[in-house]
Amino acid sequence: MKPALEVKNLRKVYEGGLEALKGINLTIPQGSFYGLLGPNGAGKTTTIGIITGLVNITGGSASVLGFDSVSEFRQARKLIGLSPQELNFDVFFSIGELLELQAGYYGLSNKAAKERTTVMLEQFGLTEKRNSRARELSGGMKRRVQIAKALVHDPQIVILDEPTAGVDIELRHMLWNYLRQINKEGKTILLTTHYIEEAEQLCETVSIINDGNIIVTDSPEKLTQAHGMSGLEITLTSEVADLKLDPWLYHLIDGKIHVNIDHPEKEMAKVINQISEQGGGIENVRIYRSSLEDVFLKLTGKSLHEEDEKFETQEALLNV
Amino acid sequence: MFSRGFWVIVKREVKRFMFLYKQTLLPSVISSGLYIIVFGAAMGSRIGEIKGVEYIHFIIPGLVMMSVINPAYQNSSSSIMQAKFLRFIEDILITPLSGLEISLSYIIGGTVRGVVNGALVLLLGYFLTGLQIDNWFLTFVYLFAVAWAFAGAGVIVGIYAKSWDSIMVITNFFFMPLIFLGGVFYSIEMLPDFWRNFSMINPLYWMINGLRYATLGIAETSHEFSLGISILFAIFFSSLASFMFSKGYRIKT
Ligand SMILES: Nc1ncnc2c1ncn2[C@@H]1O[C@H](COP(=O)(O)OP(=O)(O)O)[C@@H](O)[C@H]1O
Ligand SMILES: [Mg+2]
Repeated sequence: MKPALEVKNLRKVYEGGLEALKGINLTIPQGSFYGLLGPNGAGKTTTIGIITGLVNITGGSASVLGFDSVSEFRQARKLIGLSPQELNFDVFFSIGELLELQAGYYGLSNKAAKERTTVMLEQFGLTEKRNSRARELSGGMKRRVQIAKALVHDPQIVILDEPTAGVDIELRHMLWNYLRQINKEGKTILLTTHYIEEAEQLCETVSIINDGNIIVTDSPEKLTQAHGMSGLEITLTSEVADLKLDPWLYHLIDGKIHVNIDHPEKEMAKVINQISEQGGGIENVRIYRSSLEDVFLKLTGKSLHEEDEKFETQEALLNV
Repeated sequence: MFSRGFWVIVKREVKRFMFLYKQTLLPSVISSGLYIIVFGAAMGSRIGEIKGVEYIHFIIPGLVMMSVINPAYQNSSSSIMQAKFLRFIEDILITPLSGLEISLSYIIGGTVRGVVNGALVLLLGYFLTGLQIDNWFLTFVYLFAVAWAFAGAGVIVGIYAKSWDSIMVITNFFFMPLIFLGGVFYSIEMLPDFWRNFSMINPLYWMINGLRYATLGIAETSHEFSLGISILFAIFFSSLASFMFSKGYRIKT
């Protein structure tokens, strides 16, 4: 089966010489929920721009279900729906009209465009806003329109560039549920985010991108296993002299035993057994696991969190 | 030949200027009406006839051209500039439409506005001065070709423009002087040699001369040459616009 999206040795040098992508590779299988995770300026939007035809390619190639994004752009673009990072609305038209127009640009008939628009408005709770202009809507509603616009022609592949940046928790969860649902129904989703939780919650596979390079690609679980720390924290009722936990090493922190283990759920019973056999009484066992956030920090030396806060203040300023 | 999406952009462009009719349709009707009254009625009696037609009729083809050229140009240039500035041009760039289709749809949108404006001024001429059109078909051909040419020029400027100012600069410093020097209000036969020769290299002079032939049946110079110039400009500007759009100059990064 051809991958939904494939990027080979992709390079982008912007006018002025900045190398935003330094030869990246991505293979996004059909039906997958794929995350591109990285701090601001990593190259996420540039990658998406090249796939969708907004950014000219410098080197390498991008393809959509086997169609080259440049030489076979018609077939390629038909398959994709894009929700750009920055809100962008045609100011002369109402929400309903602009969804109909968008469907029309993709070649849907008048009737089909109207029907899809109605479905999208209902789906995103915007039916009552059909005749409103985008500028009259709240930030969260604008974001919903932005995503509805990406889906109005019912594309097989949906690309969402930071869809939940600056969106309140309730809407974020609503969007997550919706995206999970359409992914289950067969749509391939590529999501960029700098919210770790979002990637952990939604994505089967995550590529971490930093400074125009993809550093690592794997499932969130594997990434935390490979690059993070996990284990058990055990509180004993009574101390055991010369405790041995074969084959694991442990250390005592504040009287609690810390054992680093790759698969703590699986090994928990064995560890507890060994402690009991040596006469230890167990009061409490807790699994700890470092998050994707820690992995990210370890791999890139950058925190994603600071960026979040910066972004949200910016967003807050814009809304004043 | 063109996809459905192409016609949807054309429809969008037409809806946009209809929605903004106070800025897009009324001004040229009002200013043309004023020119007809002030120049035609007030000065016409002193100037009398030129080449056998009343002065008030003589100036109408030039006024029509003014109402074709500026609106056609402004429609495509401002529409593209806004779409670029507010980034909703991305909504179109990500669709399966080619650069050629996108630029042509903007050109057609501007052409429709130019032709509608020109037709409104002709209608006004009929009501205010009883103007009768000599050759309907040729009149339409001129409105269409000239609107097409300047809508094409508008796409080019829209691609480059970063603000309203740069769009208006072209109108105020190029088109308006060339239109006025193109013999809207006088016959170039009334001019001294230098200015007469200067008019000959002014393409807008030829366009006005051609439309005058189509509407009034009089021509100061070759009307065949006028038709050639109009069509040539239409082809040239729209080809250049489409080429630039396809390459993504200033539109793609
Ligand atoms: N149009 C542009 N011209 C020049 N540099 C750009 C342009 N767009 C983005 N960049 C630069 O390219 C790099 C990657 O940007 P981007 O792809 O937007 O990152 P991300 O989406 O991950 O935040 C950044 O350093 C950014 O400043
Ligand atoms: Mg980005």
